[in-house]
Amino acid sequence: MAAGWRLVGGWLAAVRGRVGGAKEPRVDSVRRMSVAVRGSGLWKRYGSGQTQVDALADVTAEFGQGRFTAIMGPSGSGKSTLLHCLAGLDKPTAGQVFVGDLDITRLPEKQLTHLRRDRIGFVFQAFNLVPTLTALENITLPLDLAGRKFDQEWLDTVIDTIGLKDRLGHKPSELSGGQQQRVACARALAARPDVVFADEPTGNLDSRSSADVLAFLHRSVRDFGQTVVMVTHDPTAASYADRVLFLADGELRSELLDPTAESVLDTMKQLDATAAAAG
Amino acid sequence: MVRLGLRSVLAHRSRFVLCTVAVLLGTAFVGGAMVFTDTLSAALKKNFSGSTADITVTPVDPVGVRTGRPATLTSDTVQRIAAVPGVAGANPELLVRDVQILGADGKPTETYGLPTYGGAWPRDAATAPFRVLDGRPPWGGSQLALDQSTASREGYVVGDQVRVVTGTEAVTAELTAITSPPLSGPAAGAPLVTFDPATAQLLLLGEPGWTSVGVAVTAGSDPATVSQAITKSLGDNVQVRTADQVAAAGENALDDAFGGYSAVLVLFAGLALFVGAFLIVNTFAMLVVQRSRELAMLRAIGASRGQVTASVLVEGLVIGAIGSTLGLLLGIGVAAGIRFGYRRLDLSIPDVALQVHPGTVVACYLVGIVVTVAAAYPAARRAGRFPPMAALRDEVALPERSLLFRLAIGGFMLLMAVVLYLIGVRARGLTGAVLLAFAAAITLLGVVMTSPLVSRYAVRALMWPFGREAPVILGRRNAERNPRRTSATASALMIAVALISGLLVIAASAKASIERDITDAIGTSELVVSSDDPATFSPAVADRIGKVAGVESVHRVRQQQGKAGDRTVQVSGVSDGTLDGPITAKLDAGSLDGLGGGQALVPRTLAKTLDLSTGETFDLTTNTGRHGLTVAGILAPNRQLNAIVVSLPTYASIGGATTDSVLYVDAAPGASPAGAIRAELKDYPTIQVRDQQAYVASARGPVNVALGVIGMLLGLAILIAILGIVNTLALGVVERTREIGLLRAIGMDRPQLRRMLRVESIAICLLGALLGLAIGVVFAASVQRVMVDDGLSVLDVPVPQLLVAVLLAGAVGVLAALWPSRRAARLDVLRAIATE
Ligand SMILES: Nc1ncnc2c1ncn2[C@@H]1O[C@H](COP(=O)(O)OP(=O)(O)OP(=O)(O)O)[C@@H](O)[C@H]1O
Ligand SMILES: [Mg+2]
Repeated sequence: MAAGWRLVGGWLAAVRGRVGGAKEPRVDSVRRMSVAVRGSGLWKRYGSGQTQVDALADVTAEFGQGRFTAIMGPSGSGKSTLLHCLAGLDKPTAGQVFVGDLDITRLPEKQLTHLRRDRIGFVFQAFNLVPTLTALENITLPLDLAGRKFDQEWLDTVIDTIGLKDRLGHKPSELSGGQQQRVACARALAARPDVVFADEPTGNLDSRSSADVLAFLHRSVRDFGQTVVMVTHDPTAASYADRVLFLADGELRSELLDPTAESVLDTMKQLDATAAAAG
Repeated sequence: MVRLGLRSVLAHRSRFVLCTVAVLLGTAFVGGAMVFTDTLSAALKKNFSGSTADITVTPVDPVGVRTGRPATLTSDTVQRIAAVPGVAGANPELLVRDVQILGADGKPTETYGLPTYGGAWPRDAATAPFRVLDGRPPWGGSQLALDQSTASREGYVVGDQVRVVTGTEAVTAELTAITSPPLSGPAAGAPLVTFDPATAQLLLLGEPGWTSVGVAVTAGSDPATVSQAITKSLGDNVQVRTADQVAAAGENALDDAFGGYSAVLVLFAGLALFVGAFLIVNTFAMLVVQRSRELAMLRAIGASRGQVTASVLVEGLVIGAIGSTLGLLLGIGVAAGIRFGYRRLDLSIPDVALQVHPGTVVACYLVGIVVTVAAAYPAARRAGRFPPMAALRDEVALPERSLLFRLAIGGFMLLMAVVLYLIGVRARGLTGAVLLAFAAAITLLGVVMTSPLVSRYAVRALMWPFGREAPVILGRRNAERNPRRTSATASALMIAVALISGLLVIAASAKASIERDITDAIGTSELVVSSDDPATFSPAVADRIGKVAGVESVHRVRQQQGKAGDRTVQVSGVSDGTLDGPITAKLDAGSLDGLGGGQALVPRTLAKTLDLSTGETFDLTTNTGRHGLTVAGILAPNRQLNAIVVSLPTYASIGGATTDSVLYVDAAPGASPAGAIRAELKDYPTIQVRDQQAYVASARGPVNVALGVIGMLLGLAILIAILGIVNTLALGVVERTREIGLLRAIGMDRPQLRRMLRVESIAICLLGALLGLAIGVVFAASVQRVMVDDGLSVLDVPVPQLLVAVLLAGAVGVLAALWPSRRAARLDVLRAIATE
């Protein structure tokens, strides 16, 4: 099935004249009963001529439900671009993204917005919160925007887990960076989305605050069956995930299951060596 | 620092656009007003260089107010002038204004606001105030001459029958000659109708007399010497001026009149600029915050406080200069447009080039630059205060200077306003009104100072009915986020709305007062007959109305102006029985009995000023000199009789003309003779026959005109206030780009985003509108109270109009948000998130 999609994606890309020859190796993900998000033959091209950059070059990946996936790679390798395409924030030049069974690359702007609101959570590296709203208001913002009734029980669970019960009435400017990121994670989870994307959520944090945020993401996967995809530079952070995907020059290069900090580091070294040999 | 300032303006030019527009509009108004009035006055001044007589002798007008019958010179005086050595010829002239020339369709000709003059055919063409172009001199009551532009505009040619209404008569006569319009003096360029001298005196004055004498001196005599000789021979009753003096006096009069015009226009321009200053203050405040890191960086690398401040002030200077330049050009363009329109009207105003005086240019630049730099100053000073360390910190949290200082100043102002208010309410009349106006101005400033303190709560209260949906909450919080900015934006609107609503209340009160005063003053009369222009009419009109079936009685009122003490007063002559019913005259003291014996009724206010009581005598000066009158009674305020009232014979004896001003007509029971009267007076098209209702409506007319004119002038201030809201929102969108990107990323759709901005905009608008409304209405109501005896007897708060104003403010809020929210909705989500 997945292979079929890959074919279709590659064909589509070929039709648009953007494929410069299939690039292997392809990394096969572990089969799960259901897939939360799937990117298929994703290309993202910026600029043209001399300044042309392929931020993504034929990336195909699946993210199973209830799994915690980390994406790693050197700066400029296309991690953020991939995340943005998967989250419907950006349109790939070619290829398709499926959230559940829905092809979101075809969705008009309005539906896409509503999809982000209802089925996708996003955590940025910084400036995640609306400064005029309190922590609690920030958490419930996607629900408020949707005009949906909250599942109070779920909300309580999420808030309990981030451990900021006594800070809910505070404005973001009155919270520390780590607390802000935890609030952002809680917001991403509040609507019980199909998948939560986090782009270097711990990039600006010290190790303690990072651990808090990562523990929270980990718990939300383990205890509540959420799906999380996280970009990170930090091998320790990646070790919280079930699986790590390695990206370089816009291509998937490698995959690691049940990673530890050490195995992640090893893989990174290996890839560096390959890159050095190739370069 | 200068280069830095210039660079910054270039780099942020899109953010300065509305700032520049505000300066532009204000200075365009200043420039346009000055250029146009200068041009018109230069054109009219040309008239005075064309004075034909060497010396002009005019009577000294003892009243000094041009109304009713003009002061005149007798033929005897003319002969005495002719006898003075050095005088070659003394030519009596007659020129009287407020005449109507009727078009072929029987309607008064359109003169575009110029008064029409009637005159006597000159004895000597050399000293005549106009030239003869064609035809033969008119002779007798059935011949007349017209000026060329009137004739050509109405399509009259020599031989046509033309109907003319003067203050004393209405005649139809044959057009026998075409003249130029009057060539010099105040009448220059105005429509003119002339008759032979005897007919002119009869039709225009109702009695013999001349309004001036044009003197030609013998060859070789010095006009100045001759004019002294004439003065010596005639005494103080006449004014003798050489051609130069006539020109100078005329120019002075014009300068005064136009100076007054320009002053009023510039006042409104100043108001617009003042409102615009809020916009500029906001723009600079926001830009400085946005650039705080850059400015702190400058400090870190060694720029002094003064240098950083100067760099921001240079930006203000540049914006001010650009705005003033564009404004001046626009102003000149508008003035040129108006001048073009004026020339198309074919009025015989001399043609001069557009007058752009150096003073105008200087005024525009001065005003534009001073306002901009002054408005940029607070932000510039703050910029200098950024600690160099701020450059290193991630997010520059500027400690807003405590509002305490502002609160203190604002509180002091409000206190002063209260004191002024209390004094004003106690002082009656115009003084009180002026004091209240000052109090209102200070209140507005005080509220401007203190409103950041309350704006948060006010916004919350105002937005409460809009519900608690996410976009509403977000919009409201944005409006609360920066109280200074919100209240500065709202303040501009507040000032404009306060003026408009005050104006509405006073206008409505004036109209209601007119209605009540007229109903109170007019008793049993069913119809009021009057004439607009000329204001008087032939006594034959009353006689003819008296013969119309269904008319029971006709009462005449004649009016002119006089002077009692140093006050100009209205003097009315009334026919017998007028005060016994047709007009309701209430007396504070005395009785009506004395009227028949030559005594006078004196209005209450005048009696108070002159300290008169019944039985005392006082001097009344009319254009025939001083007359002693005895007080028969004191009149309570009465709109129709706000005058010294005498009987008709007494009126004639103190120099009153035998022309009627108003007629009050009683109809026989059950009859309604209005239609029949109108039919009877068909050949007097300037005469209006009105029932009470229509009379009230006509009396209210000027109020509506004033309301329209002032409203239009205030419109500019409103426009700039609205631009200010657009500006604040648009800059807010720029400032909050990342936040907007975040909101979009987590699922806010475009309609919600637009709604968020709309809510913020409406909050600002309602805040400004309601504050302005409250202040405007309260002060206008107080003004009405102190003016209760001076024409504003009734308070009328036009609730529906004011409600409409509030709704409009809301609508303006919606409109103002359109453009900024379109920009916000177009932001690319990813790029917005990535912005610094
Ligand atoms: N808007 C853009 N225009 C042009 N090129 C872009 C744009 N956005 C990204 N790129 C390029 O695409 C490539 C991938 O960028 P991306 O932001 O996905 O990298 P990243 O892996 O997230 O890097 P980092 O770890 O530094 O965040 C880079 O070479 C970048 O220069
Ligand atoms: Mg990135």
